[in-house]
Amino acid sequence: MRQIILLSLIFTGSTALAAEKPTYEKDIAPIFQKKCVSCHNAANQKGELDLSTPFGLFKGGESQSTLVSGDLDSSYLYELVHTKLMPPEGEGEPLTDEEVHTIESWITNSTPFADGTDPDSFVAASEVNQHDIQPIMLLRCTVCHGNRRQEGGLDLRTKAAMLKGGKSGPAIVLGKPEESLIIKRMAAEEMPPRDKLLPSGVKVMPGNEVEMLKRWIELGGPEVVIAPDIATVSGDPLVTEEDRQHWSFQKPVRSLVPHAESGQAYNAIDAFVLQQQKAAGLTMSAEASRAVLIRRVYFDLTGLPPNAEEVEAFVNDTDPAAYENLVERVLAMPAYGERWARYWLDAAGYADSEGKRSADPVRNSAWRYRDYVIRAFSKDLPYSEFLRQQIAGDELLDYSNAEVITQEHVDNLVATGFLRMAPDGTGSDVVNSVAERMEVVADEIDIFSSTVLGLTMKCARCHSHKYDPIPQRDYYRLMAVFQGAYDVHDWLKPTAVPSQSNGVMKNRTLSVSTPDMIAKVDAHNQVVQKDIDAEYQRLEALEAELQEAHLAKGLETLPEAIQGDVKTAFEIDGNEHDEIQRYLFEKFETLLTLDEAELGKDKAYQELKKEVDEKVKALNNQKQTVPTIRALWDRGEPSPTYIYVRGDYTQSGRLVGPGVPSVLTDGKTPFVPAELEEQAVGTGRRLALANWLVSADHPLTSRVMVNRIWSHHFGRGIVSSIDNFGKLGTLPSHPELLDWLAVEFVESGWSVKHMHRLMLMSRTYRQVSDLSEELLVADPENVLLTRMPLRRLSAEEVRDSVISVAGMLEQSRFGEPDAVNVRSDGLVTAIARDGAYRRSVYLRQRRKEMPSWLETFDLPQMNPACQTRSTSNVAQQALYLLNSEMVRELSAEFAIRIQAETRDVPAQIEKMYLAVLSRKPDATELELSSEALQQLQQQWQVYRDSLPEAERETVDAELKALTIFGHTLLNSAGFLYVD
Amino acid sequence: MNSKLIHRRGFFERAADGISGAALASLALSEYAVGEEIPAAPSLEPASGGPRRGYDTQPRDTHHPAKAKAVIQLFMNGGPSQVDLFEPKPLLDQRHGEDYFNEIAEDISSPQAAGGLLRTPFKFKQHGESGAWISDALPHLHEVVDDLSFIKSMYNNHPNHEPALFKIHSGRLLPGRPSIGAWVSYGLGSVNQNLPAYVVLDDPRGLPVNTVQSWQNGFLPPLYQGTRVRSEGAPILNLNAENPYPEGITTLQRDLLRKIDRMHRKDRPNQLQLDARINSYELAARMQLEAADVLDINQESQATLDMYGVGDKKTDSYAKRCIMARRMVERGVRYVQIFMSGQPWDSHNGLENSIKSAAGQTDQPVAALVKDLKQRGLLDDVLVVWGGEFGRLPIAQMRDKKNYASAGRDHGPRGFTLWMAGGGVKPGVSYGATDEVGYAAQDNPVSIADWHATILHLLGLHHHDLFFERNGLKERLTDTFKPRIVEEILA
Repeated sequence: MRQIILLSLIFTGSTALAAEKPTYEKDIAPIFQKKCVSCHNAANQKGELDLSTPFGLFKGGESQSTLVSGDLDSSYLYELVHTKLMPPEGEGEPLTDEEVHTIESWITNSTPFADGTDPDSFVAASEVNQHDIQPIMLLRCTVCHGNRRQEGGLDLRTKAAMLKGGKSGPAIVLGKPEESLIIKRMAAEEMPPRDKLLPSGVKVMPGNEVEMLKRWIELGGPEVVIAPDIATVSGDPLVTEEDRQHWSFQKPVRSLVPHAESGQAYNAIDAFVLQQQKAAGLTMSAEASRAVLIRRVYFDLTGLPPNAEEVEAFVNDTDPAAYENLVERVLAMPAYGERWARYWLDAAGYADSEGKRSADPVRNSAWRYRDYVIRAFSKDLPYSEFLRQQIAGDELLDYSNAEVITQEHVDNLVATGFLRMAPDGTGSDVVNSVAERMEVVADEIDIFSSTVLGLTMKCARCHSHKYDPIPQRDYYRLMAVFQGAYDVHDWLKPTAVPSQSNGVMKNRTLSVSTPDMIAKVDAHNQVVQKDIDAEYQRLEALEAELQEAHLAKGLETLPEAIQGDVKTAFEIDGNEHDEIQRYLFEKFETLLTLDEAELGKDKAYQELKKEVDEKVKALNNQKQTVPTIRALWDRGEPSPTYIYVRGDYTQSGRLVGPGVPSVLTDGKTPFVPAELEEQAVGTGRRLALANWLVSADHPLTSRVMVNRIWSHHFGRGIVSSIDNFGKLGTLPSHPELLDWLAVEFVESGWSVKHMHRLMLMSRTYRQVSDLSEELLVADPENVLLTRMPLRRLSAEEVRDSVISVAGMLEQSRFGEPDAVNVRSDGLVTAIARDGAYRRSVYLRQRRKEMPSWLETFDLPQMNPACQTRSTSNVAQQALYLLNSEMVRELSAEFAIRIQAETRDVPAQIEKMYLAVLSRKPDATELELSSEALQQLQQQWQVYRDSLPEAERETVDAELKALTIFGHTLLNSAGFLYVD
Repeated sequence: MNSKLIHRRGFFERAADGISGAALASLALSEYAVGEEIPAAPSLEPASGGPRRGYDTQPRDTHHPAKAKAVIQLFMNGGPSQVDLFEPKPLLDQRHGEDYFNEIAEDISSPQAAGGLLRTPFKFKQHGESGAWISDALPHLHEVVDDLSFIKSMYNNHPNHEPALFKIHSGRLLPGRPSIGAWVSYGLGSVNQNLPAYVVLDDPRGLPVNTVQSWQNGFLPPLYQGTRVRSEGAPILNLNAENPYPEGITTLQRDLLRKIDRMHRKDRPNQLQLDARINSYELAARMQLEAADVLDINQESQATLDMYGVGDKKTDSYAKRCIMARRMVERGVRYVQIFMSGQPWDSHNGLENSIKSAAGQTDQPVAALVKDLKQRGLLDDVLVVWGGEFGRLPIAQMRDKKNYASAGRDHGPRGFTLWMAGGGVKPGVSYGATDEVGYAAQDNPVSIADWHATILHLLGLHHHDLFFERNGLKERLTDTFKPRIVEEILA
């Protein structure tokens, strides 16, 4: 062997090598970089070996030790390169003889480093280093000895801080675990303290973790520099270029609108639809009647039926732009925002309670997020801004250093409620450990990825995704993006469960309000305070009166001579007393003034006091507080993010940095946090995420949203799996149309209303929903959009429409959710205000108290969210509409309303048809209805006559018959389905 | 891709919008007459998941032949104590009062109240030909012991009620997943459309912990949620109106509705969902009749009522619900759960009295139910399941450190006992065991996923093939766990 080296020296003439020992930095690293690192790098680690760092080299791979300093025979790596087994044939250029010899020389010379680093430190570090210890400290210790608190002056986050120690001295003595305070306290079971475990959300520390800590101290606390795993130039070997070719990972490109025969296509949508229909030998169904269209447009955009006048006006409108005007008019209605917000609230998992625990505490200010969403849709906030505010509202504008808080600051923070909607039991200490917090974070990542990206990421929490090219590290990189705000080691509590929360953790509400808002509340409270003062003045007036009478009465008992002087002493202000007056006052004070007890005995005073106290109490209840914001905000100090091996939070694997799924980028560009305003606290990670999402050529954001809008109008998405555009998702039925719409969406300034207009103005949308035998066979699932689907009203539509038809819909919008009443038999109903109800979106959505009516008609549970609602068809729905007291009461109100409008029976029938079915009855229906009303009235008359004389007046047979008729229409299939 | 196949599948998915099988066939041939009896034909769809366009509770095919056709689950809220009811542990007597803290430290929720090992106040004996151990806390259960199959090595994964309950009802520690009853009604439907497929008989005195979330549908459509059937007062929400319309009016209303809907339907051929909607009104009417009938326990003989303990203040309420459960499975209800108010088995203190109280309410009715089902030849087809969410710790939990007499036991998730009977279960078996003090399952541990898979297996369902697609994932009762069917207790 020696010979070979000499030979090579002669041939290369590299005398420098002979003189100097090779070093890692100068000689070895370049060889690995050139020949090995393409397979054995931080991201790839073939054979679990990373040759890109000296630590990786000494740590070795799956075949254990790679290299033993000074011992060529035990150095497996040398053997592999020397025998040319590595790099494998065909997978890279073999090492030159010279390179092999350099490695040999480096090993036999005890692997020196140019900077003098002791190679043994890598050996020790490969057994245990600070990245094995840090996760343990985070799990068991740093809640009390970390960034927020340093109990005993101790911080256990870093080796330096451990050495520095706290009040009792250094926590560790390097090389001497038994002498290290931290180990002593753990051995004595004093730390972590048992009684603090529960309130701190820490679990008992298992023995193996203590052993690892001991070993680390014993080895002198090895530390290595490991850069967090982020996207780098080498790319991610688990995500190939082929993976990136999946249709939805390519940026959408606007295709040419196909040619359509004149008159057939109203806009580009139709051209695309017709093209595919034509290819299948099909064509569009006929255009629906005006009556059908107005009902469809109203329900689709507002979730409510049109009223009779609107139907009549539209049906008779001769303006060629009548339909267009209708669409514009309805899009501008406040009810539009309420309807379309609901879809988003489903996807966000909106609820007014925390869930998970049986206490299910109410989230007091969640409703502000609901209002934010309604307002956003109403004013057509660009979807790009809508996303930026919801994902990174706290980082868009610095609220913490703002001189004046503006509405924009407030809206931005309220918007982040999007990421605060997951069910969360951590307000109760017993389920506030890292495991349970991780569930909350995982739910939010689910909601985010399904709703915004249209990707399912949750598999990657435990293992690299089996189907989609989403490696496990992508999941944790995304988690790192959120970690500034969602840190399982630095948790903010949701609403606490009463008596189950002793922790000292802060909660997740912010008190950030505009001066205007504070002033408004102050002004309101001042008005209320005036009323309160007025009440007290009434009481004081009476008291003065009683005092006066008492004084007069008392004076009479005094000698007449002094009566006048005493009276004066009691009438003038105490400060103006001369000596005599003061003397008199003090002498007779007890006798001549009523004390509290005496006053309380007076009957009139008693009564008035009671009245005043009650009024004041009620008035105090009217006082407002400035509402807080249930927000998500970056706190600037995220703990490091480790991959959890198999999703197990007790097994921390590789350190990762923030990033987005590699397959949606070139995989090589590192994720760069956004720059925030000076002094702003955040990490800028979420803002960078949001900005990336709304960049014009993002492959998913625009497609996913236009597809959502489409699916709500046409009954199925162009991609029917609206939350999954990955490999397991369905392929788009009309890919060119989807991309055309996606590009149009972005170019319109992300205008949601623009998309509604396009879709509703299309000929495709205006088709009838009739289903012929031919279409049933040729296009059974309506993939080719050969008709509009017949659809059942959603839960909210059923309830809101019945209330609206009855004329009992209260128009007030926004604000605190309406309370519900929970009966012992399980019935959950809204509490009416003067007999009226607000729309269902304003009803309190407490997870354990879902309103029965809505639940019966398929209102989903938000656990954590709902991307697509299912529709069921069961007897309980029939029972609800037939027998529920509320539906019956509303039917009675409906009849009263109609009867007040007209007493003419055919007119009544016509009005009821128009209100419930948005059309007039035909002749047969009119006849049938008249007949039925007559029979019903007779039957009620029979019933009325059967009652005792005195009770008969309560039964108005005509009105009762009309009530039953209206109730019947509200049960009919014509009402429950939209053509 | 084979487009014909897709179209064909789509067609049958449409068929599942509410009417299936023979009803569909008859529809194709003739105009469907509203009010016509819908034959309860076996569904064309398999029990397993896969996307369905619409949802119903029509009967569906099993994956393999079923041993059990129905389940009655007697849920024992609170965590019955395995070492006081089913597993004698002489070591607890021998080492009574000795410290055991460190051996079980990670499961002690309130360290300040933790005492030493605690012996049982009850006497154990072997019973029946099988020789199964039961303590004298359950004197009636002795009589049917040879029909039961015990699993004494169950374990749960959380020491708190709520997560542990979610786990045993729905497979994971979190809410939001369908309960086993919901999965079964989703998978198998019901042969009786006039009653809900999945019935919950809750305690008139109040709901259990986790309240209605105990029988939630999770991400399954809400129709698979357990329907609360109340044994007192109005049995099903809105089954009847609170203020009914007078005689004759209801009939007129129904007639009118039928006529209006018929006209509507006639103008819309091929829209099967309209048929289903119209039909649901017929079902509602039949449900009103049948629900009243099924709950009328006065139709039972006095001997039966006495056997269950109806009329005895202590047992009356539970006994009635047991009888109702039997009457329901006789009529084809697929899954019946009986719950108790609060958590009667949660014996934190006063161990003896606490257990006596819970046992006193349930022991006689439970034994009677097994006997009654057997006498009627129903036990072969009906699976009876008894148990709670976890067991209890071997050590004392005490407010007063000295007084072992008033002590109780804290929650012990690592080992507990459940039993099953009938429906394809091998009678007279005791499977598995906890360790020497009854702390953790030791011999043949059975996870909750194993147990769920076993119940599904008996019902003819395979846990892997019963799924629901959500977010592109196949969700299962047994989640991503790899359960083992407990073959050892199968007949």
